[in-house]
Amino acid sequence: MAVQSGIYHQTYESDMQLRPTTAQRVRLILAIAFVLLLPFVVSQNEVRIVNKVMIAAIGAIGLNILVGYTGQISLGQGAFLGVGAYACGLLMVYFQVPWGLALIAAAFITAFVGALFGLPSLRLKGLYLAVATLAAQQIVEWIIIRWDPIDGTIDGRATDALKIPSAFLFGNTAWRLNDNENAFYYFVFVVLVVVVLGAVNLFRTHYGRAFIAIRDQDIAAEVMGVNLFYYKVLAFAISSFLVGLAGGLTTIHSTAISFERFTIEVSIAYLAMIIVGGLGSISGAIYGAAFIEILPEILRSIGQTLVQNRIVSDQVFVTVLPFVQQGTFGVLIILMLIVEPEGIRKLWSNIKDYFRLWPFSY
Amino acid sequence: MKKFVVVLVLACLWLVGLTGAQQGEPIRIGAIFDLSGATGDVGTPYAEGVIAYINWVNSQGGINGRPLELLSQDYAYDVATAENLYKQFVSQGALVFMGWGTGDTLALVGKIAEDQVPFISASYSASLNDPQGKAPYNFLIATTYGDQLEILMRHMVAKWEEAGKDVADMRVVVFHNDSPFGTDPLPQGQAYAEAAGIGGFLAIPQPRGATDYNAEIQKADDFGVTHIIVQNVSSPAALLARNVVDYFGSNEEVVFGCLNWCADELFVTRAGAAAEGALGAIPFTPTTVEVEGQEIPREILEAQGRTLEEASLHFTQGWAAVAVMVEAIKRTLDAGLELNGPNIRATLQQMKDFDVGGLMAPVTFTETDHRANRALAIYRVENGVWVQDSEVIDLRALEEESQ
Repeated sequence: MAVQSGIYHQTYESDMQLRPTTAQRVRLILAIAFVLLLPFVVSQNEVRIVNKVMIAAIGAIGLNILVGYTGQISLGQGAFLGVGAYACGLLMVYFQVPWGLALIAAAFITAFVGALFGLPSLRLKGLYLAVATLAAQQIVEWIIIRWDPIDGTIDGRATDALKIPSAFLFGNTAWRLNDNENAFYYFVFVVLVVVVLGAVNLFRTHYGRAFIAIRDQDIAAEVMGVNLFYYKVLAFAISSFLVGLAGGLTTIHSTAISFERFTIEVSIAYLAMIIVGGLGSISGAIYGAAFIEILPEILRSIGQTLVQNRIVSDQVFVTVLPFVQQGTFGVLIILMLIVEPEGIRKLWSNIKDYFRLWPFSY
Repeated sequence: MKKFVVVLVLACLWLVGLTGAQQGEPIRIGAIFDLSGATGDVGTPYAEGVIAYINWVNSQGGINGRPLELLSQDYAYDVATAENLYKQFVSQGALVFMGWGTGDTLALVGKIAEDQVPFISASYSASLNDPQGKAPYNFLIATTYGDQLEILMRHMVAKWEEAGKDVADMRVVVFHNDSPFGTDPLPQGQAYAEAAGIGGFLAIPQPRGATDYNAEIQKADDFGVTHIIVQNVSSPAALLARNVVDYFGSNEEVVFGCLNWCADELFVTRAGAAAEGALGAIPFTPTTVEVEGQEIPREILEAQGRTLEEASLHFTQGWAAVAVMVEAIKRTLDAGLELNGPNIRATLQQMKDFDVGGLMAPVTFTETDHRANRALAIYRVENGVWVQDSEVIDLRALEEESQ
């Protein structure tokens, strides 16, 4: 292995492999072992955070298909998550649809809504499109807040949170997805694997290549015979499908959902995920989701440790610590982007290259 | 460096010595605070009040010798974070919980019922009062938003009639936060307006992030507004108050009133002269009206070189809210019952006319009603401070009278 100066494929099958080198396969096996064993070594609370990361990763992969691969900026991520979450929840609450079916239906409904809001993309580009998707964000938020039946009622009074009936994995009452974090962990991991395989392979088909062509130069793509309108709307639909899936998973993971989870801040957090992780990369979306979701938790637990051990006073805890935490979060994101503007994915590949070429890096 | 380590070790020993003075297993109380989020301006003094009360109880030797331990974090008004923190603290042994916003409290209702964790939130939405249905463990510590609105309107009607004017000429416009928190009291206000024969009742949402409300005020003026009531937080309410005075040319043209989340010291500071004469439906006694319950908070703050006026009424609000919960824990222990969620809930339900030193109207919970009270006094801004403008108006008493 060390004496080879490159990777040579001698058959089409080997050329099509996703993991051509031994090192990659070893890492994959280690990663699978890590994933399977994780819930046994960390606390329920930490599993819960990992679950949030995996849901966010699915949403971020969806957004990356649209923004990173097709070059269409979207600020409507929060809204599309909301459409998926509420579609799933409302189907379960009002129509008693089994949760698995509701989840898939929610993804399709979001794909449709996403495609609808993707229609202006034919005429609008860049920041103009961003503003158009911002409208989607506002409209969806407005509907969720204003339309009373959407959140259910107590004694004829509208409430602002939709109660979600519990979902059981394989009908087993011990595997309650909004309570048993381990059950949800293995379930959402399988979903994530399917999504990753689907997304990686998408960019090996002519659909995916058309998306990339549109991103790189839409006029050239059109000259080559790519139907811009069709593929842009398709990119919105596929992207929203995954985002809707993430929204539906949020619903199944919760006991209740409300509009506050799907605001413009969420849209921006997701954009941060794919930018920090690496635009136009599936693994980057996962790294970015992990970074944005886990970092505040780490900062928060550091703060809690400081308070519990009386290293900082209650006064500091209330007036200073929250801002230090938020500031640190911001500074770390900026540092991350200064160190490697192409994101965590590039950082990781730089590290791999360093060791692969060591000690003769030139 | 060495010196620093020595000091640190000594400090630790001292702390061990302090906690060693209290016997028994700690009683854990979970709490989420908004210190850095959308409502952080009022959330911070509230959190300080809760923390100060817990520390004070511990300094008095805890409850029956058992210290209180507060598990708390800033959740930045984010529902998902609230859910995580709640689960985390309950798994760490929190027996009772102090919540904050309407959204996160409602999101947690189902989980609270399942975990049997008595829960006091700073959201006074009447939809949380469902003791025998969906919210068996939620307790409302203050007058609900709907009751606040009704009491304020009753007061306005009384003043209007005193001045010899006809109720049918009254036009009440409610400016509200564009969210479920804002719309919560509207049905009760509407119902009261119809019952009292008020000439008109209109609700206008305040768009988020607006820099002025002139268009909304124009709409109210077209409606012939005589009374404006705000259900929002202090900053937008103060902006509205200034816009109203600019629009009508004086404070006299329309009567301005605030429900509890904008009737505070911050509103007066931000609105300046425009706040003059504004009415407030405040379930918690403002710092400018002296009551007995403020003494200890004052002492504690003075020891820190601060004043209660500066800490605002939200400090005593947090103090009073957790005091009720701690009282229930104490009574449960005194009755010799095992300290768990259902027993604390039962104790809370037996609480009758419990007075937190006049910091708010006495607290009464029953098995069918988890609203602490339906009573408050109306306050008015006079020379930049809140002064009492009416006696306590008690809807429960009024209802009993009419029956």
